Amino acid sequence: MGDDRNTNHEGKLKRRDMLKAITAVPAAAFIPLGSAIAAERQTSKRAAETRTVAGGYHLKALTEHEYETVKVLSDWIIPADERSGSASQAGVPQFIDDWLNFQGGDLRAEIRGGLMWLDVECKYQFGHEFAGCAQAEQKKILDRIAYPEKASPEDSNYVAFFNQLRALVVEGFFSSEMGVKDLPFLGNKVVADWEGCPENVLVQINKNLKDKGVGLSLQAPEES
Amino acid sequence: MAQIKKSPKMYDAIIVGSGAGGGMAAYVLTQAGAKCLMLEAGGWYDTAKQSKMFEWNYQAPHRGAVAPNTTFGYFDASVDGWHVPGEPYLNAPGTDWRWFRSRMLGGRTNHWGRISLRMGPYDFKPYSRDGKGFDWPITYEDIAPYYDKTEELIGVFGSIEHVENTPDGKFQPPPKPRCYELLVQQACRKLDITCIPSRFSILTRPLNGRPACHYCSECGRSCGTSSNFSSPTVLLPPAMKTGNLEIRCDAMAREILVGRDGLATGVSYIDKKTRQEVQVRGKVVVVAASSCETARLLLNSRSPQYPDGLANSSGVVGRYLMDTVGADGTTGFFPVLMDLPPHNDDGTGGFHLYMPWWNYGKQFRHELPFSRGYHIEMGGGRHMPGLGIFSDSQRYLGGGYGMDLKRGCRKLYGAFIGFSSRGEMIPNDQSYCEIDRNVVDQWGIPVLKFHFKWTDDEILQARHARETFREIIETAGGEVVSTAGAKENWGISQGGAIIHEVGTVRMGADRSTSPLNSHGQAWDCKNLFVTDGAPFVSNADKNPTLTILALAWRTSEYIRDQINKRNV
Repeated sequence: MGDDRNTNHEGKLKRRDMLKAITAVPAAAFIPLGSAIAAERQTSKRAAETRTVAGGYHLKALTEHEYETVKVLSDWIIPADERSGSASQAGVPQFIDDWLNFQGGDLRAEIRGGLMWLDVECKYQFGHEFAGCAQAEQKKILDRIAYPEKASPEDSNYVAFFNQLRALVVEGFFSSEMGVKDLPFLGNKVVADWEGCPENVLVQINKNLKDKGVGLSLQAPEES
Repeated sequence: MAQIKKSPKMYDAIIVGSGAGGGMAAYVLTQAGAKCLMLEAGGWYDTAKQSKMFEWNYQAPHRGAVAPNTTFGYFDASVDGWHVPGEPYLNAPGTDWRWFRSRMLGGRTNHWGRISLRMGPYDFKPYSRDGKGFDWPITYEDIAPYYDKTEELIGVFGSIEHVENTPDGKFQPPPKPRCYELLVQQACRKLDITCIPSRFSILTRPLNGRPACHYCSECGRSCGTSSNFSSPTVLLPPAMKTGNLEIRCDAMAREILVGRDGLATGVSYIDKKTRQEVQVRGKVVVVAASSCETARLLLNSRSPQYPDGLANSSGVVGRYLMDTVGADGTTGFFPVLMDLPPHNDDGTGGFHLYMPWWNYGKQFRHELPFSRGYHIEMGGGRHMPGLGIFSDSQRYLGGGYGMDLKRGCRKLYGAFIGFSSRGEMIPNDQSYCEIDRNVVDQWGIPVLKFHFKWTDDEILQARHARETFREIIETAGGEVVSTAGAKENWGISQGGAIIHEVGTVRMGADRSTSPLNSHGQAWDCKNLFVTDGAPFVSNADKNPTLTILALAWRTSEYIRDQINKRNV
């Protein structure tokens, strides 16, 4: 393959050219998305109804009330903190509405049915639908259905609903732009020279192995 | 009634298919001065321009979820897949075969895994070794120079390791292992399981004008910098540069035409855009339509000289269909990988370490209840977040909501690793494809019906893989999160699901039991050749594509020599 230095130099030059070309990519990337959303609007059965929520998002699967309830629930599930915003700030309610429309069928029924139960139960318990309840009241009902191992067997259907909702909020949040930065995920970009496992991570894993009594120790690979 | 268009031009070679085998045939034959016409059933595809690397899941509809014509998701570089509109296939009762077809220039080389493993000496003579299956009519030594040339042309990374029956190649340097891979490697060492750098056709050094990989790990989205191998990236451009290659897309081959002397005269195809039939003439016909399509084309090319299909006097065309034995979806959770300092786990588009079969001796001494081996692949760590992320969080966080949940997910990120096995299937009499006499596709071409069966040799191999995964996970201080058990036949893949189908037009030393000779040439029809996976006699625990390329190179040089000697 020739002198290593030469090939690296050639490689770096090409990567710089490539970086210039790549900065053009994100703009182009939005074109297919825009037309996909446009296509969905056209084919959606609910296109004729203009159910819109704050920010101009057109609902596909949920009613305005269901959407508001999902918004409140999402922010209970993933609230804002010093590192990142809440689920609704990350666009999770929109992700869920779109996903329920895309999947349709049983999942959509399960979520909408769970939301309905939640409202009925809250009216019985507290005199308001879920979104209209006080924080302490909302917390009370969530505590009933959010912990599968502690929940009453009679609530098992609603535990299952909340499990499903939680999974949607979690995957919607952490796969959003905000969530990706929160974790953080540091990939999906150009890396000129792949360095393998960083020294500080190797050290931490070895510390963890020792602390947990796992009889292994990692070594950095030899330089080739 | 559709007009039949005949073209007066006589090509030196008609090549059916633009994937690994067709692309390589075009590369070799055009360089030798042969005028070639390539017929591709799908549309044009520009691997660099149509790449979707660097996009985010949150930019795609529904986070890039699977949709009808993008089988592996919105971003996957494949047109069609398990389902090709208007082109059905059938399964015989009791058979559950999945058949993947990428209708696009370059075929499945656009979205494949790039895993590039040489078959070893045992793999060419399995029958001589343990009395099962069949021997190839060639040896590893016959094909080794072609593996050399192929790797030097396409660029494969790897390391010299001298592992039994796992030949080393002409390698570029391998990328350094990821943190979680180093953990698995230590666990394997403790268990005496071989764990070495992997071998992929992804560049780590520039080659022939193609820059090296930039480690975005999105090979499956097609590479915008041409740093991984696909036929339209590496084989077709130099072939076209010779001026000797014409490519016709949207050309569905329906029959190979023969003359009264029994030699092939050309190909009849349907132009998908006009729905017109076209006939083209060639001195040689090279078929590389992918194993099952190739068998289908031969079986549908019937004539008085070939009542059972072209080149099928042996009756073996379509038979000895094989796929790779796969055991997927065993995932481990590793507490020592929780809450690590943030780092980039991307790397190349695949595993940097793997475990080649380490039990040849044990197996040869009949100490295992199955006859052939497998290699292990892994994937995990800090993936690009997408659908399904933290789907196992409940189990470890007790459900919940709020800051405990948010912080808990952050801790769990990167602490899961999944394992897969890819192993050898022994050819059997119950696994084959044939023409269904009732159904035609939308081009009027009779469709295939599949028969497929795993035997205990494959099922018990899958069991061994599941047991091994558990051992590795637990040795690394982890816990098995999901796996498959006896009830599901150890989660052995559906036939065809690994997308490594080979063997349907096999080569052999005896024309009564093989349609092709050791040069990939039809015994019955000397100007007909096959250069895809169909000629395979065994399907080792080494992904087939590198061997398809090497074998196609070898066959194409033979074609070139035969043309020069005026033998065909």
